[in-house]
Formats: sequence, structure tokens, C-alpha cells
Amino acid sequence: MLPDKILRGHVLAATLALALSSGTALAQQQPCIGNSAAITGPAAFGGMAIKMGAEIAIDEINEKGGVLGQKLRFVQYDDAGAPPRGVDNTRRIAMSDKCVAILGGYHSTVAVAQAQVVNEIGIPYLGVLAANTKAVENGANPNYMFRVSAKDKWVARFLVEQALKASKTGKIAFFYENTGWGNGAVPDVKDAMAKAGKELVALETFNWNDPDMSPQVIRARDAGADVVLFWALDREGNQILRSMDKVGYKPTVIGAWGIAGNLGELAGPLADGVQVVQTFTFMGDMDPKKKALWDKLKAKYNLKDPSEVKMPSGVANAYDAVYILADAIKKAGAFDWKKVHDALYTVNMDGIVAEYKPAFVASDPERQDAILPKYYKLTVWVDGKLLPLEQTKYGKAN
Amino acid sequence: MTTFLQYTLSGLAIGGIYALVALGFHIMWSAAKAVNFAHGDTLMIGAVLAVIGIDVGLPLWLACLLAIVAGGVFGVLLERFAVRPFLGGATSIGWMLTTIAVGIMIESLATMQFGGFSRALPSPGVAQAVHIFGAGVYPQELLIPVVALIAMAGLKLMQKRTLIGRAMQAVAHDKRAAALVGIDVDRIVAFSFGLSALFGAAAGVLVAPVIQASATMGALIGLKGFAVAIIGGITSAPGVVIAGLAFGVMEKFVEGYISTAAREIIGFSVMILVLLAFPQGLFGKKEVMKV
Repeated sequence: MLPDKILRGHVLAATLALALSSGTALAQQQPCIGNSAAITGPAAFGGMAIKMGAEIAIDEINEKGGVLGQKLRFVQYDDAGAPPRGVDNTRRIAMSDKCVAILGGYHSTVAVAQAQVVNEIGIPYLGVLAANTKAVENGANPNYMFRVSAKDKWVARFLVEQALKASKTGKIAFFYENTGWGNGAVPDVKDAMAKAGKELVALETFNWNDPDMSPQVIRARDAGADVVLFWALDREGNQILRSMDKVGYKPTVIGAWGIAGNLGELAGPLADGVQVVQTFTFMGDMDPKKKALWDKLKAKYNLKDPSEVKMPSGVANAYDAVYILADAIKKAGAFDWKKVHDALYTVNMDGIVAEYKPAFVASDPERQDAILPKYYKLTVWVDGKLLPLEQTKYGKAN
Repeated sequence: MTTFLQYTLSGLAIGGIYALVALGFHIMWSAAKAVNFAHGDTLMIGAVLAVIGIDVGLPLWLACLLAIVAGGVFGVLLERFAVRPFLGGATSIGWMLTTIAVGIMIESLATMQFGGFSRALPSPGVAQAVHIFGAGVYPQELLIPVVALIAMAGLKLMQKRTLIGRAMQAVAHDKRAAALVGIDVDRIVAFSFGLSALFGAAAGVLVAPVIQASATMGALIGLKGFAVAIIGGITSAPGVVIAGLAFGVMEKFVEGYISTAAREIIGFSVMILVLLAFPQGLFGKKEVMKV
């Protein structure tokens, strides 16, 4: 009994000492970049995309001598899409690995959970995939949550703009999955419609694994919608398209990036012409900068065709995020969370996804997001491939 | 009118899937008085293995055949190692937990091997929708309830006319008495699990072109199939098939005329109400048993 009590006392004292000294002990962070993402489970491709982009950027930076004379390292932990594990990993990256910053993962629910602990600890966080608006626009000041990815609010606005452009009647329907991601987008899409002085003619939801969507599709058809916005993943996106086919309904379909995976394989010719918003793609003709990145990816990860990269936006966002971070560390002159956080607002550079001029704006809570909607790109499914819209017949028709 | 017909046809297709799953439960129950709660995952095994077979270059028919056989083997193994050791026990908790556990393991394994994406199983049955008085449906979807009805009839015949069918009924009725008259009870129970798994894997191959093959496809249809089996009366093959088809159609009408979100609420409420009014299910026979 007694030794146990003594041990407990020691542990308590040690914890207290650690807590008291944390101000000084944590001042010097390590030249490592942490990441918590799904690297197992259904969304493992998201974690893989982040790893690819971050590692290539880190390799390039280290080849040129690293940052402040130190080589950068990448540390990735699996959260499998589970928020508690994401929070755990965040603490581990900050407290144990003492990384200078952390990159976000694929799942919005994880990012929202991480936001609180990130701001509590005060470690710079750069989201590179998860698009939930509130994860980054969380009301904290100072806010350590940044993002180099799409933001649902802006995606909604962008999609509504595209939908109104494509619509002849101005009648637009919205199909969203009954999840945190889908439900989170409903107010964003409604707001964007209201700003354009319109209302959705149909607002339809569905669950994962639903095999048939004909009731929803019939309602959208009968409401006269000629453009349908999707907030869906590939599997359900395919079921909606098939139900549309069954009831003879052929609207223009524009979707958020959940249908950028293997919709072309699932739906076959029905996917042709379905448009998807992305921040980046390796498909189609590549400019020299993109080609150079692709060549490195190909060599390092044994890829053959660009279509093997399941979430190209994640690769490119992570790649840019690492460069933004490296630049901020240089400007801060130290591997220090607070200094790097402040320096992030002074980064001015050209990336592979966008021009970051500047990357973030301290005075504007909306501008903790680096990629502005003008850099969002529409891609379109053609013959099972997701190509840049302007390089296809669908882009030329408009 | 067209909309009404559309909901009916779509509902029959979905209901056919439930009916096929429920028939599997019925087969197991009617010999072993136990079921594989992971029966939904047997469908997944069939569908996923068929897609993998095509990936490695097998022709469609061979990939499907091998997937179905593998499903049957899985059923026999599951009975031997996860059900039989617990059948003698005083309660049903043992085999319930082990079969659910096996289901979760199989699903995780499939996610690891197969990835998170749904995959298409090619079939000429989903190439082009056919239209019946304006309502569209894929031929493959029409095939599902038809196969369920044929399977039900075949099963009835087997139970009435064949030695093994009668042996299954005897075992279900009283294991000890069946053993006394020379029936190998263990073998009959294993056969029923194998048959239902064979049947489940075949159902998986049949429905995969419509609902796509994925590691998670089995969970919900397994649960709904079991609910349908209970509503219909798990001892009655026609009962579970009729209940399955009716449940599918009802779901579509709820989605169509009330709301999509109300579907599960109304569906499972109906299940509870039916059980309150008919504890043996709508078409089930009253039986005396200890659980």
C-alpha cells in the first residue's frame, strides 16, 4: 500500500512540475511537422494523399539545406477518422514530439474536435483537407487554426454560382448526405442561394448505403430543378445518378469533392458530365510545375497514372502548406509556436494550388483560409476520368 | 400513377433484398434454432470476392461461382467454430455474441483488403433501365424479388419432399428425438448454415450490381433482413418473403409520401407494433422453447 502511495505522490509532483515549467520547457520546438489523419479505414486514401504532398515538399526543402539550418521531419499518426484519437494525436504531436506545427486530416469531425485543443495548447495547425467551416472559423482569438484547403462555406458559394450559371430556369435542388459533413453544408448552401436572391426548389437528404433514391429524385424532378447540387460520396452519388436514370431525369449535376473518388467506375456513362469542385488535379494536360511534382510523386511512390492519386487536392494542399509553414518559420527566425503563428500572417508566396498573397490575414477571421474561391476548379467526369472542365467538351459548350 | 408504380417497383427491388437475407435466417433457424447474426456479411463476402475475382482477371461467371462457394465454406466454418460450441448452453448469448464478433472481424478485414470505396460488379442487368408504364427499373432489380420467390418455393419443396429437408425439420423440432431416430444432428445443423451462407453469398452477387460491393454493405441489410424475418415469422419461408417485399415497398412509400428521414423511424415502429400484436410474427407458428 505504502510504496504505491509514494509512487502516486511522485507522479503527482512530476505532473505539477511539468505543468509549472511548461512555459519554458516548451519554448523550443523541434523541426518536425506532425499530422493526424486517417491512414486506416475507408478514408485511408486521404491520409496517404497528405503524406505524399508533405513528404515531397519536405524532401525538396531539405535538399536545399532545410529551414534555419535544420532538416524538417514528418510525423504521421492514425486517427482513423475518430475525433478522440485525433485529439490524442494532437497532444502527442505538441507535447511529446514537440513539433513546430501540425497538419490536419481528412475528417471534418476530427478537425472540429482538434480546434479546441489546438487553441488551448497554442500550436499552429494547418488544415489540408477537411473543409468544415467552423473548424477554422471557431471564434478563438488568437486563432491557431489555419487552412490550406477548400472551405465548405466558400465551396457552397462557388457551387451555387456555378449552378446558377448552368441553370436555364434558376431552379436548383440540393442533395446532401445525412452526416456531419452534409448537414453542415445545408446552411451554407441556403445562405449562398439567398445571397443570389433565390431559394432551393428541393432539399433532399439520404443515408450512407441507401440503395435507391427514386423518391428524392422524383421530388426534385417534379419541382422542376434543372441543376442538382450534390454533397455526397461516390457510392451514394452513384445511387442518385442511377435513380435519376430510372425516372428519366437528366439535370446538370455539380458536386462537392466527395464524388471525386471512383464515381466514374461506379456509374459508368451516367457519370459523364458530372462536375466536381477541387482545388487541384493531376489529370489532363499538366503545366511544367505540376509535371515536376507529378514526376517526383511517380518516382517516390511507384505510381503509373495520375488517376491512381485518389485525392490530388490533398497532395497539393499539403505540399503548399509545408512551404507556407517553412516560410513562416524562416520569417519567425525560430522553431517557436507563437512566433510561427504570428509569422504565418506575413507569408507571401506562389504555390502550386494558388497564389498566397498574403496567405492569411490577421484582421479577417475568414482569412485563416489560404485558398480563395477563385482558385477552386471544376473538374468533370468523362469516360471514367475526372478531367479539368476547360479541357473537355463540357467546358467548351459553356 | 407513374410515381405510385415507381415506388412500388423500387420498393419490390429493395424488399427482394430483405427477403433474400431473411430467407437465410429462416434456413438457419429452421434447423439449428440459432442464426448467424452476421448473415448480412455473408452477402458482403459474396459480392466483394466476386469483384476481387474480376480484378484478378477471372471471367464474370467463374468469379461469381467461386465467391458463392467461398461464402458457403465460410458458413460451415462459422457454424463449427462460432456456433456449435455454444449451442448446448442454457442461453443464446454465446452464439449471438460470437457471430456478431465474427461479422465485425470480417468487415474490418474486408475494409483492410478491399479498401473503403464501393466497387461496381458489372452485370448486363444494370446497363439500361426498362420502363413499365413510365416507371423506370433495372432488369437486375426486377430479378431480385423473382429470385426470392423462386428460392422460397424451392425451399418449401426441399423441406417437404427431400430426406435432408425433412431431417432439418426433425432436428428443429427436437434434437434429441432426431438423434434417436438416427439423424446426424451436427451434420444437419452444419448443412443448414452452409446452405444459408451459400444462399447469402449468391444473394450478395445478385444484389451487388444494384447496391455496389463494399466492406460495409452487409451491416444494415443484415439487420433489416433479420427484422423482416421476425416480422414475417422466422419459421415460415413464405412469411419472411412476403414480409420482406412488403417492408421494402412500405419504405419507399414512406420516403415518397412522408419523408426520407422518417423511413427508419416508421419502419422499426411497425416492427415493434407487429411483434406486440403477433409475437410469433405475422405468419410464424407458435412454438414452445426456452431461451
